[in-house]
Amino acid sequence: MRRQHILVVEDSDEDFETVQEAARNIGLLNPIVRAASGSECLRLLRLWRDAPRSRDTLPALVLLDLNTPGEDGRDVLREVRSDDVLGSLPVVVVSTSANPRDLQFCYANGANAFHVKPVAYGMHLKMLQAIFGYWLGSVVLPA
Amino acid sequence: MSQPVTGDRTLPWGSGPYSIKRHGTTLATCDSEPVQTPGCIQAHGALLVLRLTDLQILQVSENTLLHLGEEPGSLLGRPIAHLVGAEQAARVQEMLAHDALERGAAYAFTLPARDGMQALDVCLQTSGGVAVLEFEATGRAEQTADKDFFMLVKAAVGRLQAPGSVSAFCQQVTEEVRAITGLDRVMVYRFHADHHGEVIAESAREALDPWLGLHYPAADIPRPAREIFKRIWIRPLPEAAGPLVELVPLANPDTGLALDMTHCALRGASVMYSEYLANMGVAASLTMPILRDGELWGLIACHHDTSTHFRYEVRAACELLAQVASLTLKAAEQAEQLAYRLKLEDVHQQLVMRCAREGDLLALTAQQPSLLDAIDAGGAALYHLNRWWCVGNVPDLPQLDQLAAWLYEQPELSSSTRPLFFTDALARVCPAAVGMEVVASGVLATVFSRQQRGLLVWFRPQTVHTVRWAGNPNDKPQAAGAHGMRLTPRASFETFIESVRGQSLPWSEIEVDAALRLRLLVFELVITRGERLADLNDDLTRSNEELDAFAYVASHDLKEPLRGINRYAHQLLASAEAKNSDAGEDRQRLESLMRLTVRMDSLLDSLLHFSRVGRMELEFEAADLNGVVADAIEMTGALRTNNGSDSPCSIEIPRPLPVVQCDPVRVCEIYSNLLANAMKYKRHPVARVEVGHIGADETAERPNAPKSTAGQHIFYVRDQGIGIDPRHYEQVFRLFKRLHGRDDYGGGVGAGLTIVRKLVQRHGGRVWVDSVLGAGTTFYFTLAGKRVGAG
Repeated sequence: MRRQHILVVEDSDEDFETVQEAARNIGLLNPIVRAASGSECLRLLRLWRDAPRSRDTLPALVLLDLNTPGEDGRDVLREVRSDDVLGSLPVVVVSTSANPRDLQFCYANGANAFHVKPVAYGMHLKMLQAIFGYWLGSVVLPA
Repeated sequence: MSQPVTGDRTLPWGSGPYSIKRHGTTLATCDSEPVQTPGCIQAHGALLVLRLTDLQILQVSENTLLHLGEEPGSLLGRPIAHLVGAEQAARVQEMLAHDALERGAAYAFTLPARDGMQALDVCLQTSGGVAVLEFEATGRAEQTADKDFFMLVKAAVGRLQAPGSVSAFCQQVTEEVRAITGLDRVMVYRFHADHHGEVIAESAREALDPWLGLHYPAADIPRPAREIFKRIWIRPLPEAAGPLVELVPLANPDTGLALDMTHCALRGASVMYSEYLANMGVAASLTMPILRDGELWGLIACHHDTSTHFRYEVRAACELLAQVASLTLKAAEQAEQLAYRLKLEDVHQQLVMRCAREGDLLALTAQQPSLLDAIDAGGAALYHLNRWWCVGNVPDLPQLDQLAAWLYEQPELSSSTRPLFFTDALARVCPAAVGMEVVASGVLATVFSRQQRGLLVWFRPQTVHTVRWAGNPNDKPQAAGAHGMRLTPRASFETFIESVRGQSLPWSEIEVDAALRLRLLVFELVITRGERLADLNDDLTRSNEELDAFAYVASHDLKEPLRGINRYAHQLLASAEAKNSDAGEDRQRLESLMRLTVRMDSLLDSLLHFSRVGRMELEFEAADLNGVVADAIEMTGALRTNNGSDSPCSIEIPRPLPVVQCDPVRVCEIYSNLLANAMKYKRHPVARVEVGHIGADETAERPNAPKSTAGQHIFYVRDQGIGIDPRHYEQVFRLFKRLHGRDDYGGGVGAGLTIVRKLVQRHGGRVWVDSVLGAGTTFYFTLAGKRVGAG
C-alpha cells in the first residue's frame, strides 16, 4: 500500500526544513508535500479531492501554519471544514503564539490540535516529532 | 373736562355734589372718592370760578374775605374786573383767548398787597367750560434772597443728563429737588408691580431717621390718587393740617356740575391723605410723579416738618425737574440694564470659554467667576455627569434631586425653544420645595442636555429678611372721625418687618434672557464635547486595535526569524561538533546566540501578555482569597519539593484572608507574580514569605500607603529577602526594568511587577512597596474601588 503523504502549509523555508528534519529523525516514510501559501494549499486539496481515486490522493495529515501569505491559515481551515470531502481531514495547527483569539477560532472551526512553535530549535524539533509520532503512529486516521 | 356727579346712591354723598368737608371718606369708599372734585380747597389761598363768556364770578371759596377782602356774597355775580381791575381783567381775557390753559394753570399776574393783605400770585386755567383763578401769597418777601431759578434748574437738569444707574439717578433727583425746595426730606418712592411702594432714594435733613429702603403698602396711595398723578406734574400741600374751605355754591349754578380741580394747586386734600401725613408727623408735602411710558413709575415725595409755602417759581422748577426725571428715567434704566446685560454676557462668556478650554463644565461652579457672579442670585447648581455641582446657598442634595424631578415634569422645561422655568414663589407651586424657602424661594432653571438630564438652576432666597415696612401694613385702627366711624391710615410708622414667606425678588427679563443664552452656549459645549469624546473613543479603539495588531506582529513576524537564527546557530554548532573542531570560542558564541534568541522570545511573550492584560475583560465575582492564594502557591511551585528535600520556601498566612469582589484568575496572577519574586530575591536558602491583609477599619500601620487607599482593605506579600532601595520603588514596576543582572536571582524579563500593577489598576486598586535594603520587602495592594472597564 502506498503511504499517504503529509501536507505542510508553511511559508518559511527554515521552518519547513525543520519539519523535514523532524520527519527524517523519526524515520517517517510518508512523503511530505509543501504548500507555501493558503491558496496553494486549497488548490492542491481541491485537485486531490477531484482526482479519480481521491481516497488515495488525499493527505493523511495537514500541518497548517496560521500565518501564511495571501489566504492565511484561518481561511484555509474554514474552507476545508466547510467541504463535504475535505471536512474530515485531520488538521493540526502550528502557530507562533498562543493568542487566545487564534486558539478560540481554530478549535471553534474544527482544528484537531493547536501547537505553538518554540523558538529554540531543539524544542521545535521535539514538538514536530511528537506530532508526527502521535498522528501517524498512535492515531487511527479516517480510512 | 367736568367730572359728572356720581349717581351711586349708596355713597354718603349720594347724587349730590361731593365735599370733603361735609362727607369725608372712609377706608371702604376711599378707592371711589372723587378726588378730582373735592368741593374744597386748601385754606392758604382763594379760588374764583368765572364764566368764560363774560368773566362773571360764578363760584368762590368761602375764605375770600381773608385773602381778597370781600365776602363771597359781594363777589358772586360780579365781573372779575370788580376785584382785579380792568387792566388785569383784560389780561385774563387775552390769556383765555391765546394760551393753552386746559391742562394746567399759568401765572397771570400778581395782585399787589393792600389793606394789610399780602401780595398774591394769580394763576389762571380753564376747566370744564369755566375759567379758574387761584390766589396764593407770593411768599417772595419771606425768601432771604431771590434765586435765579432759571440758572438753578438749568444746572440741575444738566446734572441729571448722564445717569449711570436707576438708583444713582434717583439719588441725584432727590438732591436736586431738596436743593431747590429746601425741604426737610425728599424721597423717590417707587411702585412695585403690586402697587406697594419702596423708598429707593432719599435726601433728608441730618436729624431725621432715614426712610430709605422702607416699603409702604399699596393702600397708602389709593387708586384715585395714583390716577390723578398721571395727569398733574405737581401736588403742593403746604399746610397739610390746615382747614378745608368749601366752594360757594358747591356746584356751578349754570350747569349744576362740580368743579374739576385736577390741575388746581389749591385742590383740597383727601382727609385720608392729610391724616396719613399727620400720623407720620409731616406738616407739609410736595409731590411730583415720575412717569414712564405714560404709567406712574414712582413719586418724588417731599416732606417738611412745619407748614410752609410753595412759591410759584419753586413749584414751576419742581414740575420741570419731575418732567426731566420722567424723560431721563428710561435712559437711566436702559443704562443700568445695559450694564447688567453686558456684565452677564461677559461673565457667561468667560465661563463658557473656560469650560471649553478645560473640556469640563465643572468650571461653571468650581472657580471664580462662577455661575453666581453673573446673575444676581443666592446660589447656583449644575446637574451634570449624574451629580450636582453647587456654589453659594443651595438646598441639600436630596432636596435638589426632588426639585429636579419636579422641574422635569414642568411643561415649560420641555419647550424646544425656551426650555426655562422660573418663579419667585417656588413653594407655592412645587410641593417638594416646602421647607427650602429660605434658600430657594426663587428658582430660575434651564435644561442643557435632556438625555443626561443636564440642569442649570439659580436660587434666590426669600426676601423676608429684607422687607422693612414703614409701620405694620395690616394695622388699620378704627377711629370715630367727624363723619362717623372711619378707618384711618396707619397710626404707627415704626419699622415693621413682615414675614412674607416663600417669596423672592422676581427674575428680570435680562436674567431670563441671559440664562437662555448661557444654556445655548453650554448646550453647544456639551455637543462639541460629546463629538470630541466620540472621536477620542474611535481613536482609542483604533489605537487599541493597532496595539493588538502590533503585539501580534511582534510575536509572529519577529519570532519567525528568531527561530531561523536559533536553528542555524544550532546547525553550526552541530557541524562544529561533527568536525570535532576545537574552536571553543566559536562554540561559546554560538551558544550565546541561541540563548539570546530564547531570551528575546520570552521578552516578546511578556510584551504580548502585558498588552492583553490591559485589554481583557475582567470577570468579577465574590472570591475567597484563601483559595486564590492556594492556587497561586500551587502555580509557582513554591512548596513543591524535589526528591523529598525541604521546600525552598515557607509561606505563612497569619489569619484567613477575606472574601472579596474581584476577578479570581487575575488576582491569582497577582499573587503568583509576587510570590515568585519573593522566592527569587531571597537571602536565605529558604524563602520565608508572609501573605496577609489589613482590614479597612483596622488601625495597623500602612507604610507608604497612597492617600486614596485610606479606608480600604489592604493585602500584602512580605518577604525577608534582599530588599529594594527606596529610590528604586517606582522603577521596579517599569516594564522590562530589572535591578539585577540578567541571570541573577533566577533571571526573568522584568515584566512581573508591571503586570501586577496593571492587574491591580484594572481592579481599581493601587500597589506600592515598602522595603528595607537587606532585610526584606513588602508589596501592598488594594482591590477596592469600582471596576475599571476594558480599554
